[in-house]
Amino acid sequence: MNCFSDCSTTVSLVTRQTLELWRGTMKEVGGKFGTGVLSYFKFLKWLLMFNIFSFLVNFGFITIPQLIYHPTPDIPTGVSFKGLEILTGAGYFSHTVMYYGGYSNKTQGTGGWPEYNMQLAYFFTITAYMVLCGAALIYSMASSFRKKYVLADSGLGGAWQLLCSWDFSVTNERAVRQRKNNLRIQLKESLSEKVQVALLPLTERLKHYGVFLGTWLLSTGMALGCGASVYFLQSADKASGSLLEEAATLLLPFVVSLINLVVPLFYSLFKKIEHYSNPRMQVYAIIVRNVILKMSILGILCYYWMKDVANTFSCWESIVGQALYRLVIVDFLFIMLGSFFGEFLSNVIGTKCIQSLGVPEFDVARNVLDLIYAQTLAWIGIYFSPLLPVIQIIKFFILFYLKKVSLTQNCQPPRRAGRAAQMQTIFIAILFFPSFVGALSMVAYTMWTLPPSDNCGPFRGLNTTFSAIQIWMDDLNGVDGFQWIVWIYQHVIRSEIFYFLVSLIILVFIYIFRQITQGRKLLIILLRQQIVNVSSSELSGPKCLVHQCCCV
Amino acid sequence: MGNKQTIFTDEQLDAYQDCTFFTRKEILRLHGRYHELAPHLVPMDYTNEPDVTIPLALIVSMPELNENPFRNRIVESFSEDGAGNLSFNDFVDMFSVLSETAPRELKAIYAFKIYDFNVDNFLCKEDLEKTLNKLTREELSPEEVTLVCEKAIEEADLDGDSKLSFADFENMITRAPDFLSTFHIRI
Repeated sequence: MNCFSDCSTTVSLVTRQTLELWRGTMKEVGGKFGTGVLSYFKFLKWLLMFNIFSFLVNFGFITIPQLIYHPTPDIPTGVSFKGLEILTGAGYFSHTVMYYGGYSNKTQGTGGWPEYNMQLAYFFTITAYMVLCGAALIYSMASSFRKKYVLADSGLGGAWQLLCSWDFSVTNERAVRQRKNNLRIQLKESLSEKVQVALLPLTERLKHYGVFLGTWLLSTGMALGCGASVYFLQSADKASGSLLEEAATLLLPFVVSLINLVVPLFYSLFKKIEHYSNPRMQVYAIIVRNVILKMSILGILCYYWMKDVANTFSCWESIVGQALYRLVIVDFLFIMLGSFFGEFLSNVIGTKCIQSLGVPEFDVARNVLDLIYAQTLAWIGIYFSPLLPVIQIIKFFILFYLKKVSLTQNCQPPRRAGRAAQMQTIFIAILFFPSFVGALSMVAYTMWTLPPSDNCGPFRGLNTTFSAIQIWMDDLNGVDGFQWIVWIYQHVIRSEIFYFLVSLIILVFIYIFRQITQGRKLLIILLRQQIVNVSSSELSGPKCLVHQCCCV
Repeated sequence: MGNKQTIFTDEQLDAYQDCTFFTRKEILRLHGRYHELAPHLVPMDYTNEPDVTIPLALIVSMPELNENPFRNRIVESFSEDGAGNLSFNDFVDMFSVLSETAPRELKAIYAFKIYDFNVDNFLCKEDLEKTLNKLTREELSPEEVTLVCEKAIEEADLDGDSKLSFADFENMITRAPDFLSTFHIRI
């Protein structure tokens, strides 16, 4: 146990010594805007680390061997570099190592270099990266949940406001003054609040439920409608040689990003007619609606790629890679536009035209959801375009500075001290559940069942990508000394009983831990009662032995 | 990474690294900040552990503490003599507890000390009133101040003695997950 804690302390020391990136900027932002807004920048930096790791792994194990053995890409005659490729990713780029199609399937071994099996390298690199990402996400989700998520909601009461809500990291004089003002206003509000009637009359409640049902149906319907329109637009989208048609391939990502920008604004109009008892529920509702919209559009696109593109085009993995590249680039352009309209124009309108609106606040939830969407695109694209993390790294780098400048020029610090820590846990959970799990299942489905294209890429000619492993196992069978690997493969990885047993054991453990948690909750209630009883019995009267005895 | 620094011996740096939540580089940086607060008082060579303290007035002039409403109480809670004169060890301890990696229990202990103005190990009504006045620049009327403090004690006091002991305070902290991130000063 000791050695484990020593190891983890050393690891965290080493990581902190190397990850000094942006320390000064983050201190400045935290000093002026507080920890809530700072959590967005910390999230951005965390996602950047995922992409840097992905780039190092992909470049080192896949691209460099390809470049060593085939230094010049085979570009067919007549295709030259026009400037449009940076936006569309097609044309000149589609024959380079940027996409799946640029990699060969031979086991290299020329010119004195050792043998390097490209198929196994590609497969294992992608798999190892996904597994490590999943492990990192589960670990941070679990530790964040344990530290920061409180199930019994104590409410934003007076004691909390007084003793726990002051943000010690704010160091800017104007920001401190503003926070003191805000706290004073909030305290005055909570003092003068009349006691709300706990139960509204039945007709009022039915009306509220009716409104909720209506808005949820409408928002889900809009999400599905957008998904369907994207599907029909996609079926009408064919890429080929001429410049105009290549530029026309940008239409689909443009429409997708436009939907992602405009529809959430529409959802925020619902705030006016809905009445939630708890302002936190409102934020959750907005988040859930946005996630449903973005994931349903991505789901429809993935379905189209898996079903139609895989059967129609000859080098379909590269086509999917190019589509993802275009989505990433256009998404970046739209985030920049969104920053311009959302923050700069709101500031101008709020200060010059409609004074009552005031200076805008930085909307952490919307920006974090944009980041999660961008990362989902990158995770889906790893298999089809191994160098997509490079674009993502550049995008996040520019985005950090862009958002920082926009924040300092246009926004004011948040007025309400919010539940930043619990929101952080929810964002990591959203990053894991629809985002990473969705990307992982799509890549897994591609590798497991879809036939790779016949004339390009490292898996050409095989039935499925996974057959490469099968072939390798057959080869190993003939070699002495490696029989145990083959045994593990045949009886553990390929047998269903193993996964069934593992799932069963995990379910049993979850049940046991849940029972322990329930028992502990009961113990807390009894102990609290005991504190009150012990102290009140000290002040007066005979000791209440019954209560004291029963809680040991 | 310098083996060339002559401010501390290697054993001293290892001891600091073990006892606080800082790395060697951060400790050297902290020494730089400590030195620049009073260059004529603080020697550059700490290998023979000189007995030097910096007075309260200089410490609260640091930009990280300058605007904090509780700056005096923070420095007093970490000083050995209770009057706010910090030696380098106290200085490092202070920023270590206020750093991001310090655990919740440690932060709760020191937060309690900071809010306890009359140093009697309880947060009584006067302590809460002083806290409130520091947080709102004394712009609430006396009746409002009394009301808020009474409501706060009512909510958090578990054992019914109309003041908050450390156990009450810690219980309240466990229900406030933001505390770990707000009770944090970056240096």
